[in-house]
Amino acid sequence: MIINGVEIDDTFAEAFNMRGTRILITAQNLRWAYNAANAMTGFATSVIGCGVEAGIERELSEDETPDGRPGVSVLMFAMGSKVLMQQLETRMGQCILTCPTAAAFAGIESEDMISLGKHLRFFGDGYQVSKQIPDANGKLKRYWRIPVMDGEFLTEETTGMVRAIGGGNFLVLGASQAQVLTACEAAIDAMRKLPNVIMPFPGGVVRSGSKVGSKYPKMFASTNDAFCPTLKGVVKSELDPRVESVMEIVVNGLTFEDIAVSMKAGIEAACSLGKDNGILRISAGNYGGKLGQHHFKLRPILSGEVTA
Amino acid sequence: MSHIVLTAKPVSRTVDCRALLPLALQGKTVAEIAAIKLAANLSVSDAFEVSLDSATEALKLTFKNTTSSHQYIGFGMTTGQLVVEGDVGDFLGAQLQNGVLICKGNAGARAGDRMRRGMLLIEGNAGDYCGSDMMAGTLGVLGSTGAHLGYGMKRGTLLLAQTPAPQATWIDCGFHKLPFLNILYKSFKLLDSRFAQISSQRVQRWMGDMGGLGKAEILVIQS
Repeated sequence: MIINGVEIDDTFAEAFNMRGTRILITAQNLRWAYNAANAMTGFATSVIGCGVEAGIERELSEDETPDGRPGVSVLMFAMGSKVLMQQLETRMGQCILTCPTAAAFAGIESEDMISLGKHLRFFGDGYQVSKQIPDANGKLKRYWRIPVMDGEFLTEETTGMVRAIGGGNFLVLGASQAQVLTACEAAIDAMRKLPNVIMPFPGGVVRSGSKVGSKYPKMFASTNDAFCPTLKGVVKSELDPRVESVMEIVVNGLTFEDIAVSMKAGIEAACSLGKDNGILRISAGNYGGKLGQHHFKLRPILSGEVTA
Repeated sequence: MSHIVLTAKPVSRTVDCRALLPLALQGKTVAEIAAIKLAANLSVSDAFEVSLDSATEALKLTFKNTTSSHQYIGFGMTTGQLVVEGDVGDFLGAQLQNGVLICKGNAGARAGDRMRRGMLLIEGNAGDYCGSDMMAGTLGVLGSTGAHLGYGMKRGTLLLAQTPAPQATWIDCGFHKLPFLNILYKSFKLLDSRFAQISSQRVQRWMGDMGGLGKAEILVIQS
């Protein structure tokens, strides 16, 4: 398969079952909503070292938030429910509670509800106030009002936890680092317009793809040498002589369809720059198909065989 | 579910309405409701005209033409919506457990007494001891409030449109803009009530009753 002169490998991205949640963060204005959300989703690129993978899903207008203030929605993913709960509570306490004017609300409904402000309320040292208020559907929701120095910190008691998928990905291979980065930026811009997904790495792009294992016994992952352009000829390389740079976009989402649709949008945006701009190939990262429960095959996805 | 309407008949005695709750009357026929005893020698049919609208999805009970003789309306209510189109007597919404109770007229003494949860919204005036011994929930009053407001109140919110008389056991915590009020006001907008018109998030906050637990609040809406 070739799109705009860019070869699409006959391969697949291998992804994993995860647990996910969505939190709505509001503040006096978008500047402070972003300050809170950026802090909460900071150091959350990979579960390997950060516990969770998190990112800002999209901006929310005043009409879309529970308290009528501007905000952003954040998606957070972890390999298990326990870690997700721990990380959410820690990040709520250190990043949202601390941020001037910020408030946090449930962004997803589920049978599994996990603590958002349920335990954080004790920061109020006995002065916290609970309010149960019906939502637009008449369902009672519990909020906590915690006295803080800027006034009151408002948070919903719980948010939903759902089954999700993490690790959808594709690789952009090109003739130069600058050209590959430009293509990845175009891909990220396209993918950020879609709901229910986040790209957790810096700017949505990762340059240090990994393989399982290492020559060093204590390392369980190491650099993906087959895609390192400076090792062409030294290792069993996946790269032909034209390729000087490879970057990866990792995408986590609430459903298989969400990830497939975002991958399609991202790959098409990257390919739109074409061979003339140094974009040579699109590939994907996998572990031979034996580790991940979900396989995102590039060619069927780009043929539109998977739709949301 | 059905919307039950009880239109009060003129009576020369007090009427204890504690048996008339949205959930308790659900599934009953007009005849069954009319036969409910309110006192030893008083049944619903003596005090009210009963009508039923089965088409509605809501669990709703409406009282019409009530006066200060009608007491204990919404006593111990656990769910649904109860609307009173008229004045009411004492103990409106006393021991309210949940649900929404709207009074479009004036209320007597001890409205919301020992209320635990839910919303009690009084569009008119409230009598003495409004919110007495209240444990939690939200009690709103658009009109005036009588003496001993929030007497013994432990937790919960009294939301007032008019500044009450100063009270020795309530502490003035100053003026604030509280974001949670926007959420509360959003829930008001779903109701057929004058409370739906409130929009100011700026309030004067009092905490009390310091004669007891002292974790309740009075919020006086500022224009």
